[in-house]
Amino acid sequence: MAQLTIKVENVTKRFGDFTAVDSLSFEVYSGRVFGFLGPNGAGKTTTIRMIVGITHPDEGRLEVFGESLPERVQDRIGYLPEERGLYKKMKIQDQIRYFAALKGLSSKEADKRIDYWLERMRLSEWKKKKTTDLSKGMAQKIQFICAVLHDPDLLILDEPFSGLDPISVEFLIEIVSELKAKNKTIIFSTHLMETAERLCDDILLINKSRKVVSGSLRQVKESFGKRIISLRATGADEVLAEKNLVEKVVEHSDEKQVFLAEAADSQELLRRLIESGACISKFELLEPSLKDIFIEKVSGEEL
Amino acid sequence: MKILAVIKHEYKKIVLKWTFLIGTFLLPALGLVFAFVPVLVFSIKGEPVKIIVIDPSGKIKPRLQQILSGESEVTSNEINRDKRKEAVDISVGEFVFVDYRFDEKNEEQIQRELRAKVSDGEVDAYLIIPRNFEDREANFQLFSRRAGDIVLNSAIRGALTKAVRAEKLLKAKISEKELENLIGEVNFSVKKIGEAGEEKEGTGNFWVGFVVALFIYMVLSIYGQTVLSAVIEEKETRIAEILFSSARPFELMMGKLVGVGLAGLTQVAIWVASAAFIILFSMPYLVAAGWRLPEISFAASISFLVYFLLGFFTYASIFALIGSMVTNIQEGGQFSFVPVMIMLLSFYFCFAILRDPNSSFSFWISIAPFSSPLAMPIRMTMETPPVWQVLFSILVNLLTVVGIVWVASRIYRIGMLMYGKRATLPEIWRWIKEG
Repeated sequence: MAQLTIKVENVTKRFGDFTAVDSLSFEVYSGRVFGFLGPNGAGKTTTIRMIVGITHPDEGRLEVFGESLPERVQDRIGYLPEERGLYKKMKIQDQIRYFAALKGLSSKEADKRIDYWLERMRLSEWKKKKTTDLSKGMAQKIQFICAVLHDPDLLILDEPFSGLDPISVEFLIEIVSELKAKNKTIIFSTHLMETAERLCDDILLINKSRKVVSGSLRQVKESFGKRIISLRATGADEVLAEKNLVEKVVEHSDEKQVFLAEAADSQELLRRLIESGACISKFELLEPSLKDIFIEKVSGEEL
Repeated sequence: MKILAVIKHEYKKIVLKWTFLIGTFLLPALGLVFAFVPVLVFSIKGEPVKIIVIDPSGKIKPRLQQILSGESEVTSNEINRDKRKEAVDISVGEFVFVDYRFDEKNEEQIQRELRAKVSDGEVDAYLIIPRNFEDREANFQLFSRRAGDIVLNSAIRGALTKAVRAEKLLKAKISEKELENLIGEVNFSVKKIGEAGEEKEGTGNFWVGFVVALFIYMVLSIYGQTVLSAVIEEKETRIAEILFSSARPFELMMGKLVGVGLAGLTQVAIWVASAAFIILFSMPYLVAAGWRLPEISFAASISFLVYFLLGFFTYASIFALIGSMVTNIQEGGQFSFVPVMIMLLSFYFCFAILRDPNSSFSFWISIAPFSSPLAMPIRMTMETPPVWQVLFSILVNLLTVVGIVWVASRIYRIGMLMYGKRATLPEIWRWIKEG
């Protein structure tokens, strides 16, 4: 049963003259993976910091688990920051224990779970080693363990896949899916649209401190309509040159991607192509990829 | 109580490291080395110094021998007898007076021969006493292979001065006995008058005061720096972000200060306990050697602890603040110059207290924030200040600590999350206001 985990209403955060987040509103539900997308410097980390209770909004309302001061529910939140760190000269086990204690976990329970997670990450033999002995990818897995050890109801992963090898990425995706099945809420921020497209149920795209697009992935894609056609045809050039039908054509190796003009209809284009006597071997309406939406929206804003 | 987890973490991080163990045992050992090695080195008796004295008058050399031998009384008869001795090297104290006949030689010849002897290593030095030694302008010359040996030089210079003075006085018809009376040093003893007008023996408390000051200064700077580097590590490695998402900045900062402070206290406790142990066992020997244990009241001991804690929280919060505002350990080192300077100044101010614990300067520095955690304990070892002064200074310090911790905890969170650039003063001011 999906419950409201986070409610953000007209939240604004300023640093001096700079507005990092500008009247942002969105909702996040349990049992769903929420993709928080946007270019670097869009305000993602600032928003996340407000959700975990590190900073507070200057204006607007923010509720996490129905609590307007997120620091009161910090123990139910797991957070993997984009800027990651571990104590350099401390044993892996001791570090995880400390972070678990800060989340209110007893040391006995923590030890049990540490064994489980290290085993799962195939890092058991590193338990007594120090951070300086770990590779970067290993350290990142340890940090992931720190974020999930206290079995949080809300897990926030800021750019979790950067610097991980493909096997580890698949591994994390598997764990995220497991948590989702347990009705946890997962937010992850990324600018890798392919991964987001694969994982997310809902997305929020922000740019320059403001919301650009939000909603379920399905809705977002549908609202963008089927404006792109994958076309393999001969003798179609004349029709494709009509400005009232086609905005632009991108040539691929053996096919073309046709972007429909503003007011044009795909069926209209198909009819015109047939009438013009073009030989069509493929005519497929493409869903816009998240990447297309991202590029269109973000570069559109820039203009 | 997450603050307990933070305290435990910070405490274990320091105490369970081998550097703590080494510091605990090496530092006192080093202290002993620094205190005793110079004394030992200077007391080592080297090879006796072989010296030739050219004394045409024949009056100074015997006296010189007498003075350097350290024997108090040599009668004039003996001196005269010495004069008649022939061709014998006389060994006196650390000196061997090598015999050298110069009667029929001219000055140039003497110089040449003696230079040769020195460069051959036959003798270490030669001393030329002028014929007119009684004149104010008379010039005594020492030619030495060991011209850099200041201990040797000053021994000869001191002995010469005494010898010449004695000869001059003799000439002024002052008897050898009167002479002894005239040039001997007075007997001098110092007794301390306590609060109740009672008489106490000695100046022992001076050293206690000095040791206490040095001790507090050392522990404060060591553990202040520990706080600084711990904070910078959390900022540099971005651990701060995870920490702030788990606990309040105030808990994190306070937990760190308390944890590090407890580690410091642990170390001090080990030192005090082992010192007490050593003193307990060596007491009979110390008493036999004329040592007295300095009297420190129980109240004074408790106040040392109180002032140590006040000082620690004052300075450690400043170090924590600096750590949260800078971007790396090098920058932290540069900025910690400020608290280190204040501490060092306070330490030097303490010498004023050691000289006069009741001056108004002593009063003010034992009340003022920053200096009183060092100054007041020293004042208390020297003299018992009025109770109101102690309470007043504790109050001033408590307010200081509360103020600094308040400011620090407002800046701490923002400083810790600001990466890549150092905070500017106007920014810091804004943070304090906005909190």
